[in-house]
Amino acid sequence: MNEMTCESGVKVLMEYLEGTLAGDVRAAVEAHVATCPRCVAFIASYRETPRLVRELTAAEIPADLVASLRAHLRAHRREPPREP
Amino acid sequence: MVVPHVDASDETLAARAARGDDRAFDVLMERYQARVYRLACRLTNDTDAGDVVQDAFLQVYQHLNSFRGDARFSTWLYRVATNVCLMWRRAHARRPTEPLNAFLPQFDSHGTHAQTPVYFDRTMHLEERLDREHLAAAARDALARLPELYRHAFVLRDLEELPTEEVAEILGVKAATVRQRVHRARLLLRGFLNALPEESR
Repeated sequence: MNEMTCESGVKVLMEYLEGTLAGDVRAAVEAHVATCPRCVAFIASYRETPRLVRELTAAEIPADLVASLRAHLRAHRREPPREP
Repeated sequence: MVVPHVDASDETLAARAARGDDRAFDVLMERYQARVYRLACRLTNDTDAGDVVQDAFLQVYQHLNSFRGDARFSTWLYRVATNVCLMWRRAHARRPTEPLNAFLPQFDSHGTHAQTPVYFDRTMHLEERLDREHLAAAARDALARLPELYRHAFVLRDLEELPTEEVAEILGVKAATVRQRVHRARLLLRGFLNALPEESR
């Protein structure tokens, strides 16, 4: 394979982190990152992104919605479940 | 011995509910309502999530007979809920498409990152730089800016933290396709958040 660059490393980063990358490509990514501070910083921010968005968008269900969900369903229960 | 509802598997409860046992459906709803609400907030918005959740559970209830039990109940529920969110967005929330390439990582002609580590590090310090409310609004906005296919894969895989294989089943695509979409979503979200204006608390 051609020499690993930042760009080719980014292309396979998800597979690398999921552990689905072939051994030789994996080794090439690791060899590149070991000598590339830009990739080290980029990968840290790539990994931080889902954590941050997960934490910031974790909404709690409002109590009044829980109550109205039941009422809504109950109102429809008079109709028998439909056949597909 | 009949297993009480609280100890029964989702699939057992779904079968009981399909035979008309409403209490079984209540237990299923209790198990999943918080997750479906969170999903709806992330795929639509906080204001409409309540209606979307109601609609999703109603659809599940009305189509229990089509749940065959060859998939997990949760996978089927996520599929129904994701489709309700998709329909909702198509009806109410079409956003103009914007050029997104500027938010993807940039490389020079040698394939080297065009930006420096200091620039990438900005993502790591967002929580110090911006107040929580502002940042949460920015995160919601960033999610809404993602193209739909990427948003669905990312929300299910990275935010609901479902295994890639299950997301593939929910979305009806291959695992490799899920990984590709999640990757694009992460790159774009990273770019959106990194581009937030510098602003001290």
